[in-house]
Amino acid sequence: MPLDPAVLKREFPEFEFIPERGKIREFALALGLEDPVHFDVEAARAAGFADLLAPPTFTRQFWHENDENDPMPHLGYDPKRRLHGEQEFEYHKPLVAGMALRGRNVISSTKEKEGRRGGKMTFVVIETRFTDAAGDLVQVARRTLIETAAPPKETE
Amino acid sequence: MPNALTYATWDDLPEGAERELTAGPLTRTDFVRFAGANGDFNPNHHDDTYAAASGFPSSFAPGMLQGGYAGRLISEWVGPAALRTLRLRFSAQAWPGDMVICRAKILRRFEEGGERRVEIEAEAVSQSGEVLIKALATAAPGD
Repeated sequence: MPLDPAVLKREFPEFEFIPERGKIREFALALGLEDPVHFDVEAARAAGFADLLAPPTFTRQFWHENDENDPMPHLGYDPKRRLHGEQEFEYHKPLVAGMALRGRNVISSTKEKEGRRGGKMTFVVIETRFTDAAGDLVQVARRTLIETAAPPKETE
Repeated sequence: MPNALTYATWDDLPEGAERELTAGPLTRTDFVRFAGANGDFNPNHHDDTYAAASGFPSSFAPGMLQGGYAGRLISEWVGPAALRTLRLRFSAQAWPGDMVICRAKILRRFEEGGERRVEIEAEAVSQSGEVLIKALATAAPGD
């Protein structure tokens, strides 16, 4: 992968992210979640949340809003050899519908490793940090992308 | 108002405590519905012709679908507000018709950040026992 070393530790422009009730409900229903805090506002409030609570894996998709703050085009990955190896979340405050969040991406690490089937594998970790209007950290999402030596047999 | 879920408390979660959730059989409709919710429209997850051209026998589930089931198992067990970290490692694809069997287990109990926490190990396997997802979570269950 022609990864530019300058991309490491690079911070991308901040983006706005306001989680919507409808999107949280749709996500919860697609996974069959039965906890009403994800789809019933009254139940969420009774449980102490300001609004519908996002399911734990919800922020995976909201990691950029346009090409300017999307790190992917800057990595030079070959899409045929790319796979999503790991996804990690850190939960600092409840992420609920209507919050005015700001997200920011940083390429937090890269490494190379010999693959099991030979050839070099490249690992890149992209970290997205979400903060609320007060500037407090709400959630951190980290994705590990792998570029395999040959087209992957295992992929997301 | 729908009934609130009852979550496991600290006393309900000794080392070795287990919980299981089964989803499936997976359909292409599940993939498409999740793609719409998740915003990931990789054609490998809904277009068999495209998937075949990429060298796959058919379309297959987005990894965050199985990952989401594993997250659901844990958050509905200890409560979503108790979750502190969740790590998902993607091991293999799930195909249409597959079952996704998620199992979680308390690995250890410890104190961190001024609260009592549990470490939870989980995995999602298919009906043939193939590991789809390996997960590790920490949570601070209620008293």
